[in-house]
Amino acid sequence: MGRKAAAYSSSSSIDSSNHPDHHLPSPTASSSSSSLSRKINGNYCNSLSITRTDLSTDLRLGLSISPSHHSDLSSTSTPREQALINWPPIKSILRSTLAGRGADNRRHPSLFVKVYLEGVPIGRKLNLFDHDGYSALISSLCLMFKTTILCPENNHFHLDKYHVLTYEDQEGDWMLVGDVPWEIFLTTVKRMKITRADRC
Amino acid sequence: MPKMANSFPEEVLEHVFSFIQTDQDRNSISTVCKSWYEIERWCRRRIFIGNCYAVSPRMVIRRFPDIRSIELKGKPHFADFNLVPEGWGGYVYPWIAAMASAYPWLEEIKLKRMVVTDETLELIAKSFKNFKLLVLSSCEGFSTDGLAAIAANCRNLRELDLHESDVEDLSGHWLSHFPDTYTSLVSLNIACLGSELSFSALERLVGRCPNLRSLRLNRSVPLDRLANLLRQAPRLTELGTGAYSAELRPDIFTILSGAFSRCKELKSLSGFWDVVPPYLTAIYSICPGLTSLNLSYSNIQSPDLVKLVSECPNLQRLWVLDYIEDVGLNALAESCKDLRELRVFPSDPFVVEPNVSLTEQGLISVSEGCPKLHSVLYFCRQMSNDALITIARNQPNFTCFRLCIIEPKIPDYLTLQPLDVGFGAIVENCKNLRRLSISGLLTDRVFDYIGTYGKNLEMLSVAFAGDSDLGLHHILSGCDNLRKLEIRDCPFGDKALLANAAKLETMRSLWMSSCSVSYGACKLLGQKLPRLNVEVIDERGHPESRPENSPVEKLYIYRSVAGPRFDMPGFVWTMGKDSTLRIT
Repeated sequence: MGRKAAAYSSSSSIDSSNHPDHHLPSPTASSSSSSLSRKINGNYCNSLSITRTDLSTDLRLGLSISPSHHSDLSSTSTPREQALINWPPIKSILRSTLAGRGADNRRHPSLFVKVYLEGVPIGRKLNLFDHDGYSALISSLCLMFKTTILCPENNHFHLDKYHVLTYEDQEGDWMLVGDVPWEIFLTTVKRMKITRADRC
Repeated sequence: MPKMANSFPEEVLEHVFSFIQTDQDRNSISTVCKSWYEIERWCRRRIFIGNCYAVSPRMVIRRFPDIRSIELKGKPHFADFNLVPEGWGGYVYPWIAAMASAYPWLEEIKLKRMVVTDETLELIAKSFKNFKLLVLSSCEGFSTDGLAAIAANCRNLRELDLHESDVEDLSGHWLSHFPDTYTSLVSLNIACLGSELSFSALERLVGRCPNLRSLRLNRSVPLDRLANLLRQAPRLTELGTGAYSAELRPDIFTILSGAFSRCKELKSLSGFWDVVPPYLTAIYSICPGLTSLNLSYSNIQSPDLVKLVSECPNLQRLWVLDYIEDVGLNALAESCKDLRELRVFPSDPFVVEPNVSLTEQGLISVSEGCPKLHSVLYFCRQMSNDALITIARNQPNFTCFRLCIIEPKIPDYLTLQPLDVGFGAIVENCKNLRRLSISGLLTDRVFDYIGTYGKNLEMLSVAFAGDSDLGLHHILSGCDNLRKLEIRDCPFGDKALLANAAKLETMRSLWMSSCSVSYGACKLLGQKLPRLNVEVIDERGHPESRPENSPVEKLYIYRSVAGPRFDMPGFVWTMGKDSTLRIT
């Protein structure tokens, strides 16, 4: 066991030069949720039609032995930028403590926060400064987690089928993403969690 | 069992062996003869495995049938700095599953940089009847639900330490899962948790555990709760506070300083998030007894730090942000003559311009004033060869010297020369140096010094340094005792690696990222050295899709008696026989 995903994963990795735009929901997708996503025109992003994407990742951990295929989630940054992001060598727990201090986070080249999908033990890191607002953030997360996330400004119907994005603020309270302007969100977010909409 | 002619009876040897504790000595014993090997393996109770992929659980269990304490490490050290992609591996479940049936009397598990699921914690909780100690250091993958299972089931638990782990915080109520009859807690470290704790559960727990000696709280515990906790645990030797802030009220201050003054055995303090400085004087009464102070999460600024360290003459270990500044390190050098370990972290590492006045001068002062100093981790923005030479002469006792100049490839700020000579002086003067990290502008010459003098060096970290293969060659051919080598962003390539391939079998691991090692060389290494696992990590896709001579993104090589691992994600490839199998 443990090798079944090897061949599959290599094909997904080879895809990695593709631009995310190639993976927008196709109009021929036939599942009910994808037709819904067309109806509301971009307020949902649908992942059911995205099976091979450089932003996708398999988060099934199983009993710890199942391999997961993986690819770089921050495809917008080059390895060089990545190298300087991970320098100087400071543990992430201290790094996040320092980053959370003061309101001058925008000066930093990166603001990594961890995102969890409900029921999946391993979180993924995401650089909030790679995004210019909520809709870009939600698009990235939809692709990264292969799921459908409701946008904050949208009416909440069909709640049971979708995920919503919540975040923990500096006080430790869990809030719905979108409750404050983006810039304020950046100064207060500690981590995010994608939760089933009907559980909120 | 074959026996030597004039050997002691087994029982006698077993008793003698029981006095021998260190892993190295136990290993030496087991290589004396077959009979000693047999006796030793039956009475080995503790085991340390520095790389969970170097051996399989089955092999460990076969050799050591009665282990009570295990320490396991997973991911490479550079995972601390985000260089190892998520999903890389380091899963502990297979180990726990194997040990659950083999070692029902297992008492202690210490894990570092491993992925621990809630399922794993549940298995631990129900499998080991006399379980006493769980240390999860820089681990991830579990939530407070898993901790609740440990709390609810491990009646004899003495220590729970979540040191710098990344825990999914579902709720603070897991603490209330410790049963009311549970009283055996000695040490609890939950400083890394983000969520608010159930304070009543915490207070009840502290109140009913008379042997509690170490309590490290998280940021959510407010200052006005601290006094009450301290009153219930007057015999604490180690305390990590929560947020150290409250509105300024004389009554809060009086209660707090009274509570501290009754904790006469306190030796170690940490925490101190969000400090309101006037409250700091509440700890002054116990400062003379302190030997360890970790303020690396604390916002205390230079003037208050100067006062604080001056109150702590017996300090042996100080971790602090660069808010301490040169003036604070001067004060430290004057008042703390017993200091052995110093770590200074940057408070604002992402800007080029210094936000505080911390230079090489602070480190010089401490190296002059603190004769027992032997371990340093120091982040700063400028350094000179002269300073390093002075430090090396002042302090030949260094065993660990890690210097990080924040801007990569920055030269001696006085002469604009490389820092080769300075680091050369460190390795030449400090004969017992075991761990070294270097930074700044460095040529191959520094590696010549390191290879020539660093004979006791066990771990070396290199970033943005060197000019050619010669640099790596000096390290691998010169450092006889090197066990761990980690390199990033250096122009080291195939020649040095292949020429010193046999050296790799004597080391625990080699990490190289953003260097110049080709995929072809990796394949060759994997084929030639079957006892090494040569893993190429490349998130751009399969290395076969690029020319053989193009460099790989990341390379992790480690020795293993277990063969290639079975849990590799899609962006990791093992070189050697198995890799051809995987490609087809």
